[in-house]
Amino acid sequence: MDDLKNIFSLFDTEYITEYKTSWLKVKLSFSSNLLDVAQMLQKNGLRTISTISPTDFIDENKIEMNYFFEDLVTKRNCWLKCDIPRELKHCKIESLSNLFKGALWHEREAYSMFGVKFLNHPDLRPIILSQDYYNKFPFRKDFDWQEHEKNSVENMNLIVESFQEEEHLSENKLDPNSSEMILNWGPTHPASGPIRLKVHCDGEDILGIDPDIGFVWRALEHLVTQKDFVGAIVAVERLCFMDNINSMVCYAQAVEEIAEIEITEFAKWMRVLLGEVGRISSHMMGMGGFYNAMGLHTVAMWNMDMRELFLDFLESYSGARIATASVEAGGVRYGLAPEMLEELQKALDKFDATKEDIKNIFINNPTMKMRAAKLGILTQDEVQEYALCGVVARASGVKTDIRIDEPYAAYDQIELEYVTQKGGSAKDRLFQLFEEIEQSVSIIKQAKKHIEQKIEEGEFNPTKDYMVKMPKKLPKGEAIARVEWARGEVLMHLVTQEKAKSPYRLKMKAPSFNHTMMVEHLLKGETLSDIPLVFGSLYICQGDLDR
Amino acid sequence: MLKIFDFFAHSKSESVWMAHFCTGCCSLEMAAAMGPRYDWERYGYLPTPSPRQADVLVITGLITKKVLPALLRTYQQMPEPKYVLALGACSFDGGPYNDSLAVVKNPTEILPADVFVAGCPPTPEAIISGLEQIKQKIKDGIPSAASEGGLYKEMKF
Repeated sequence: MDDLKNIFSLFDTEYITEYKTSWLKVKLSFSSNLLDVAQMLQKNGLRTISTISPTDFIDENKIEMNYFFEDLVTKRNCWLKCDIPRELKHCKIESLSNLFKGALWHEREAYSMFGVKFLNHPDLRPIILSQDYYNKFPFRKDFDWQEHEKNSVENMNLIVESFQEEEHLSENKLDPNSSEMILNWGPTHPASGPIRLKVHCDGEDILGIDPDIGFVWRALEHLVTQKDFVGAIVAVERLCFMDNINSMVCYAQAVEEIAEIEITEFAKWMRVLLGEVGRISSHMMGMGGFYNAMGLHTVAMWNMDMRELFLDFLESYSGARIATASVEAGGVRYGLAPEMLEELQKALDKFDATKEDIKNIFINNPTMKMRAAKLGILTQDEVQEYALCGVVARASGVKTDIRIDEPYAAYDQIELEYVTQKGGSAKDRLFQLFEEIEQSVSIIKQAKKHIEQKIEEGEFNPTKDYMVKMPKKLPKGEAIARVEWARGEVLMHLVTQEKAKSPYRLKMKAPSFNHTMMVEHLLKGETLSDIPLVFGSLYICQGDLDR
Repeated sequence: MLKIFDFFAHSKSESVWMAHFCTGCCSLEMAAAMGPRYDWERYGYLPTPSPRQADVLVITGLITKKVLPALLRTYQQMPEPKYVLALGACSFDGGPYNDSLAVVKNPTEILPADVFVAGCPPTPEAIISGLEQIKQKIKDGIPSAASEGGLYKEMKF
């Protein structure tokens, strides 16, 4: 940490404070210093920008930029802030995407939502938004959504027209003498989900890919500001339905930090238990998606069969199979009855009984290895440069796992090691998924044993101490929370105002955004038949891609 | 003569294929309905990659503004007779996203659904029972709701 502090001693800063265990929180006095600071941070090993989050303080007439620098190797992180003017004309800041390639799309997002202009950005087009919001910057506090919505018919027509115009233009740009053509992969492709990849191809060969995203843009970050702190979990858990529990844990942690409330030990263990069940149910879908993309549906069926039993546990716990809304600030929403753990035991038994078969048939499968071992290879450098995380990063051998780096809930009391692969290919990402399921099952067993033991000893009261009382109004403040989600790191930046009843700003950084950026990088020069496989192996969910 | 028509309707109803187009979270429960525990193939349902072979379009919950033209195009590409099944609260009034202004809050007003399945997300059992109702509708020879009207007829897409 000290070498980072030395860097900032060279510049004018408003404050430098240590934050949590691994963060240095710094506010720069002048935004003009940003590029120099970033350069020095990069030289000191902070090679990753996790996300960029502008906050619009309309009363103070400024936009506060938040940059989250991370070092995936030494685990030192830096939260850098600086103010820029709010008027559109002067709302400019130097782009960092020439230094940190992972910032490319995050800067585009900040531009689309807030109108922050990034100087020297190579490709500052709007992203995520539907066409009717282009150049309107909808996340600014003075943007009138109701007024915009009055012209819904014109807006719809605009979306259709600009789509057709764009199709027409990009067709016209092609060289008539070449055999290059544009192929739309998605949004109706069965393996794609709602995303459109504009694939420039010459015969079978891919010349380039331009992902068009935003087909499930629900403006969640804006939606939560219209709900109270409890109601917001409904929006937060819909970040992605495959693993919705860990995203709620992340949000709850941020709220608890601002409210300065410590949850009970039992609730912490419950969060571990539920979170790992969420992770398993997501990973099982992920493995199925990978094999579906290769044309084999058996593994998806087997996994779905096992997954149902884990969902049974969630259903017995919360009453809902998927949309559980079971974690909120202050603890977990429900108590625990012994028969719920019996349901969980059934799921664990089923997994233990099926594990070897899956391993022998699908993981050690020679056909799959031949097909996927040389595809979509990501190196460790690329992982750091493009801020990849979770399964994708660990499959390339980068030791990053928030559960170990910055333990939350009860993960500090659990035996846990980094699970990594070496190759970084599509095959390794499948291996990684399977080994992480095994790891999660071992965590669940530990947590279950601990909870049962403590209940027997009388230290936990499962019907009573699952929740502590939360204040309805929160003080002014801000917090970040990170959790290891099924797909990787989720970072939430929560800002509240005085006596706040609802969040003022909630930035959700979700992993698929960076992973989708890699699609072009991985597929350039490959053939069309590799698209589903590489796309499937990147383990992308459109829910957290668009938010 | 009547008997032959009954035979056609019966045949159509027993192999309802669905256009594989997932736009929202409810598609996860639809995947569960395809899975081994619920296994909707027992009833003759099958997801098909191409809308040209599909009989039913499933609105899987959320429809955003950007995906609406794609949905309508998919519907347009399906051969007659075609039916629409709407899943979840989102397809009725936006559901949990009702306050979000990036989401179309009345997708079933634009593309009228024959059967609406409630829930957020609806359980696989409910989805299958909804499809069974569509089956009955085909057997009875009732024309689909979207063929009777809907805002999509006046829209460009």
